[in-house]
Amino acid sequence: MAVEIHAVPGARFMDPSVLARIGNLELVSRAVVDGFINGLHKAPYFGASVDFAEHRGYVPGDDIRRLDWRVWARTDRYYIKEYEAESNMNFSVLLDVSKSMDFGSRGITKFDYARILTACLTNLVHHQRDRVGFVAFDTEVVEHVPPSAKHMETVLHVLDRLKPGRPGNLQGPLHKLAEHFGRRGIVVVISDFYEEPGAVLEALSPLRFRGNDLIVFHVMDPAELEFGFDDAQPFEDLESGEQIPVVPEAFREEYRSLVKAHVDTLAQSCAAVRVDYTMVDTSKPLDHALFAYLNGRARRMKSR
Amino acid sequence: MSFLAPLFFVALAGLAIPVLLHLTQREKKQVQRFPSLMFVRRIPYQSVRRRKIQNWLLLLVRMAALALIVLAFARPFLSRPDAPLVPGQGAREVVVLLDTSYSMGFGDRWGRAQAAAAQAVQGLGSSDRGSVVLFSSSADILVRSSAERERLASAVAGAKPGAGSTRYAPALKVAGSILAESQLPRREVVLVSDLQRGGWRGEEGARLPAGTTLTPVVIGGPVSQPNLTVTGVSLARSTFANQERVVVTAGVSNRSEQRVAGASATLEMGGLPIGTRPLTLEPGASASVTFDPVTIGGRNMRGTVELSADALAADNLFHFVLSPAEPVRVAVLDRGGASSLYLSQALAIGEAPRFETVVRQPEALSDGELQRSAVVVLNDVAVADALARRLAAFVERGGGLLVAAGARASWPGGVDLLPASIGAPVDRTRGTAARMGAVEYASPVFEPFRAPGSGEFATTRIYGYRSVSPVSAALVLARFDTGAPAMLERRVGNGRALLWTSSLDQSWSDLPIKPVFLPLVHRAVSHLAVYREPQPWVTVGQVLEASAAGRPRERVVSRVVLTPSGERSPLGDEGEGVLEVREQGFYEIRGAASDVTVVAGNVDPAEGDLTPMDPQDIVAAAAGGSAETARAAAVPQGPEAQERNQRIWWYLLCAGVVLLGVDTALSNRTAKA
Repeated sequence: MAVEIHAVPGARFMDPSVLARIGNLELVSRAVVDGFINGLHKAPYFGASVDFAEHRGYVPGDDIRRLDWRVWARTDRYYIKEYEAESNMNFSVLLDVSKSMDFGSRGITKFDYARILTACLTNLVHHQRDRVGFVAFDTEVVEHVPPSAKHMETVLHVLDRLKPGRPGNLQGPLHKLAEHFGRRGIVVVISDFYEEPGAVLEALSPLRFRGNDLIVFHVMDPAELEFGFDDAQPFEDLESGEQIPVVPEAFREEYRSLVKAHVDTLAQSCAAVRVDYTMVDTSKPLDHALFAYLNGRARRMKSR
Repeated sequence: MSFLAPLFFVALAGLAIPVLLHLTQREKKQVQRFPSLMFVRRIPYQSVRRRKIQNWLLLLVRMAALALIVLAFARPFLSRPDAPLVPGQGAREVVVLLDTSYSMGFGDRWGRAQAAAAQAVQGLGSSDRGSVVLFSSSADILVRSSAERERLASAVAGAKPGAGSTRYAPALKVAGSILAESQLPRREVVLVSDLQRGGWRGEEGARLPAGTTLTPVVIGGPVSQPNLTVTGVSLARSTFANQERVVVTAGVSNRSEQRVAGASATLEMGGLPIGTRPLTLEPGASASVTFDPVTIGGRNMRGTVELSADALAADNLFHFVLSPAEPVRVAVLDRGGASSLYLSQALAIGEAPRFETVVRQPEALSDGELQRSAVVVLNDVAVADALARRLAAFVERGGGLLVAAGARASWPGGVDLLPASIGAPVDRTRGTAARMGAVEYASPVFEPFRAPGSGEFATTRIYGYRSVSPVSAALVLARFDTGAPAMLERRVGNGRALLWTSSLDQSWSDLPIKPVFLPLVHRAVSHLAVYREPQPWVTVGQVLEASAAGRPRERVVSRVVLTPSGERSPLGDEGEGVLEVREQGFYEIRGAASDVTVVAGNVDPAEGDLTPMDPQDIVAAAAGGSAETARAAAVPQGPEAQERNQRIWWYLLCAGVVLLGVDTALSNRTAKA
């Protein structure tokens, strides 16, 4: 699918650290998503239902086949007929709120990034009339908002309240959650995946059992990827509190190769089980993640 | 190269400190929080790899600085062979000390001395440098460190003996200073002198630099030729038929080793021979020669005692100057009667100085009398305003005023002259009489009474005195036992005013009948008159002051001195008002108009004693025993030479400190980066 990107100033490619400074998640997500959607030359998703929902004003890019000519004839204005999407399905975001997510070297923590990403996805999906749900977890489930078409506000509120604080574990909460996703839908897992790839896969696999589409966002800070520290100093594990003396210069190469191997392994493993895996760098604008999501979604729809 | 303190090399272990610092310095105490150490934990922890030196330049700078400082503390020194001290090698710095005291004029000594000095100059090599220093009681550098032999030789040839006496110490000090500045390896001093014992007064700090060779060239020989010396002249004054006469007695010594017979002593006064006395003296003997009395005709009468010619001419002459002894004129003002009896009687006694007293009523004092007087005594009189003003002007010009404040004394308040204002009388006739308490013995008035038994003021009873209020400029010289001032002094203009707060007769005290009365009055009046005993002669080497010959300072204007050799030189009132007497004979000090003072200059008679000293004494004392050329090389280096060889530590320390500065700059830059 050819996607042309139309540059809408101020809305797209916003620096995540700038977005992080805006407290209101709804505002942030709307700023990102609206610009994003408006920027798409052709909206890839529209409700293909017969159940009329509402009228809304025509915006360039809308399919003119959906114009309500009768209304035009009456009012001399273009209106689009909106229908209850037929394909509305459950869209759940599973957000890792373990302590390790509370790290940021460039003005925005991974957690904040993930929060904004969640808000954006929720917003985006909400635009598609899908039902949005949200789960926050560390070693266990911290917050659970069941999927609903009306739950976007709730999700944003919950997101707003969240604070990472405890060590994390994927397997326990994810296995437990897998049982709840009875209806087929899309499950997005956002985490930093500080576990062995095998364990990660084992934790993720159950989420796919009921035919859910599983999309994985692996959020990483540039410091975690590049290990660009200079001074020899003790490093403290955010979750366990363990300290290790580290000379970054000596460690850097080996560390990078280990992280790369980890990421590669995860990507390969995910691909093997048809899980969309996206590595997200918190220094990059959110659009990358959203594109990744939409591309994956589009591919999936095609293949369906 | 060797080291004075090699133990400091232990400190080189400190070089490990910067290395350790560099290995650990970058490990900060601050903890870096990191999401997960999952991957870090997998990386094997290698301490060697971890301790990697980051900044080699900084480390090297630090280690070099430390090493240099340690090296500096170890005090390295260069023990280079001291070639300069090997005899017969290297250029020489030669100082020729030529004695020009008048004793060098004895016989053919001067000729031999010049020849010896010239020989020393001729002996200089092409790379040698020489100095010529003439010395007697002081030393003059004629040529300083010159390689021109002709110049040195002409300086020697042009020298001649003066009238000074011999002193070796100043000459050796001058030689030492010349040699100390010299860079040449070999240093020599050639001392050409008759080496009189009288010129060496033991250790006077005249040490030559180490390694200097002192070669005394003794111009001596047996003193077989006759040599008589006038050792001094005594002048006994007397007054005969209102004329002052003086009897001149000359002391004569025979300083030669043979009996002198047939010699004579002649006295000349004002150029005219007065008398001649024959002399016969055994070796080493002394005699007095008394001449007939001479009447002193006028001021500045020049007298000379001259012995018949012998081998040393300079000490055969003795000059002196005679002037009539000028009396101190005192005007005593009183109310008549016998009130000034004690005072005039006291002033009538005395030869040096002689007092010439006139007693007047206060209003009868004429201007001429006041003009002639050196001192005015107000003996318990009431002073009118006009007289007070005249007296104030008189004191301002340099006169002296002595006020005895008895019962009748008063002073007009409008004239500020006295050291204190005179108040009410204090009656001590009832109860115990007042006595003299504290006396300022530092004052010239009371100075003669300082020693125990020199006069007792405590026994003096004072029955009445005037209470006074001293002015700020007044000096209290004596107090009564009550603390009230007894005698006060004040300087006014060029003169002085003394206030005795009691009477000078027996009405109020028994002071006039005490033994201290006469000396006290004499001292007080002499002090007020600024009297100085005339000095008939000065010795060569002494200085003439502007206020010489007893002249009060206020009369001194710019003067000219005419030396015996006919030279004229100015003699001012300030710093340049001092002239050293260098010649034998009469100095004329000419002031304004007819104001001429004559001062006689004589050689030091001690110089006539030609007894020589052992050259080794002066060599040992001056050169610290390193005189012999052969031994000079073995002499250990002096502290300066040693310091020179060890000075390298200083440079090392400086380099170390500079490197530390570089280190600071470098580390700052690194830290900023």
